[in-house]
Amino acid sequence: MTDLADPPQETVARHEPLDGPGEAVPERGARSRLDRSTLLMLVVPPILVAIVFAGYVWWRQTADLDGVEQSQLAWDSTWSALWRHVELTLAASALVVVIAVPLGILLTRGRARLLSPLVVGIANIGQAAPAVGLIVLLAMWRGYGFWTAVIALVLYGVLPVLRNTITGLQGVDPTLVEAGRGLGMSNGAVLLKVELPLAVPVIMSGVRTALVLVVGTATLATFVGAGGLGAIIDTGITLYRFRVMVAGAVLVALLALLIEWLGRLLELLTRPKGL
Amino acid sequence: MWDFIVERRDDIIFNTYQHASLVAQAVLLATVIAVLLAVVVVRVPALAGVANVVSAIGLTLPAFALIGLLLPLTSIGVVTGFVAVTFYAILPILRNAVVGLQQVDETLLESARGMGMGQLASLWRVRIPLAWPVILAGIRTSTQMSMGIAAIAAYVKGPGLGDYIFAGLVRIGGANAVNYAVVGTVGIILVALVADALLLLLGRASISKGIRAA
Repeated sequence: MTDLADPPQETVARHEPLDGPGEAVPERGARSRLDRSTLLMLVVPPILVAIVFAGYVWWRQTADLDGVEQSQLAWDSTWSALWRHVELTLAASALVVVIAVPLGILLTRGRARLLSPLVVGIANIGQAAPAVGLIVLLAMWRGYGFWTAVIALVLYGVLPVLRNTITGLQGVDPTLVEAGRGLGMSNGAVLLKVELPLAVPVIMSGVRTALVLVVGTATLATFVGAGGLGAIIDTGITLYRFRVMVAGAVLVALLALLIEWLGRLLELLTRPKGL
Repeated sequence: MWDFIVERRDDIIFNTYQHASLVAQAVLLATVIAVLLAVVVVRVPALAGVANVVSAIGLTLPAFALIGLLLPLTSIGVVTGFVAVTFYAILPILRNAVVGLQQVDETLLESARGMGMGQLASLWRVRIPLAWPVILAGIRTSTQMSMGIAAIAAYVKGPGLGDYIFAGLVRIGGANAVNYAVVGTVGIILVALVADALLLLLGRASISKGIRAA
């Protein structure tokens, strides 16, 4: 009885699109990693989200809610909480990329290279800080509001992208960099045309991790008056209304799943063709 | 700040202990559940993909959302915190345990069988020890994550240092607000770092000599 999973190369090598320039040797690289579980993760979440959301809408329209529940789960306030949550997530994630990728690049250049273990070490310790604590402390320093929450989310989301940018760039085969130089490319050109494209898959997987962290942590934004879907859960807990808190929790979970799925899609779409 | 800590030292020590103890118990239970699940998953290859998807979806679920979902079932208090922390702690361990158990060389299992080991013996004496370093890495990730989740669970009266963070939050602008939040946050960071160091030591002590790296 062989209870080891069948080797993955069988499952995919066939789907390899022959769009690479020149020789199309089907290397076991990026695209062939479109194996069963990756495929499942691309297909299952949107379907799940659609079904559960349809269920929620049906429940919301037919359930016998009392006055408090009616007003807490009114559609317009639900939409604005949802939209606020999306704004928090996107603003923080965009800032994370803008900060972490250049910083990661910087930390793999020249002498700054020596600093990278230190920075990653500090970031690692920072990651041990509980998100609630971070967000509350920032609120004490900067006051309540949208940007306070965004700053906390950025602090929280920077690490995975920074770490993956550094790992991704360090993982680039030095002979390829050498080859780029040999072709007469400047340092900047080597970075833009050789190193970054090769590191993109690793960086993007960090971005997806950050997206998931940020969308989840944004639930806590309500504690510092920045709204979001966490507010619905919070109200449900404060009023001790099960329906309200569960409704909020379901909506947050759906949004998080959708964002994770978008991250995966982004990961797949940004993958350079040659890989 | 210093006076604040000295004045409340007993209380702080108690809450620190509670925090560590909640996480330790939850992670321990999670390890047992995750390894058992992984053993099943590895036996039925069709389940491996499912386990991956479940684990990925589970990790996407925000902690505060899970608490909202649990509250009607487990009510305000310690149970909610414990269940929530255990739930999240299972996922990274499960993922790593599946990978770790799958990686064990088939020929080694064959030799174990040749030596007359039964299914259980070869699982316990060959497969799990060989997968242990990978499982332990999962346990470290879980422990780290659990610290923060336990902090959130304090919102629904879970035990531990998270209480201080929320105590700071309700006092914002007032006396001691910052002290409370700092003690809670820094306390959790320290507990997390100590726990990680202990797990590293555990690795030193428990990883089979034959496969220890250098």
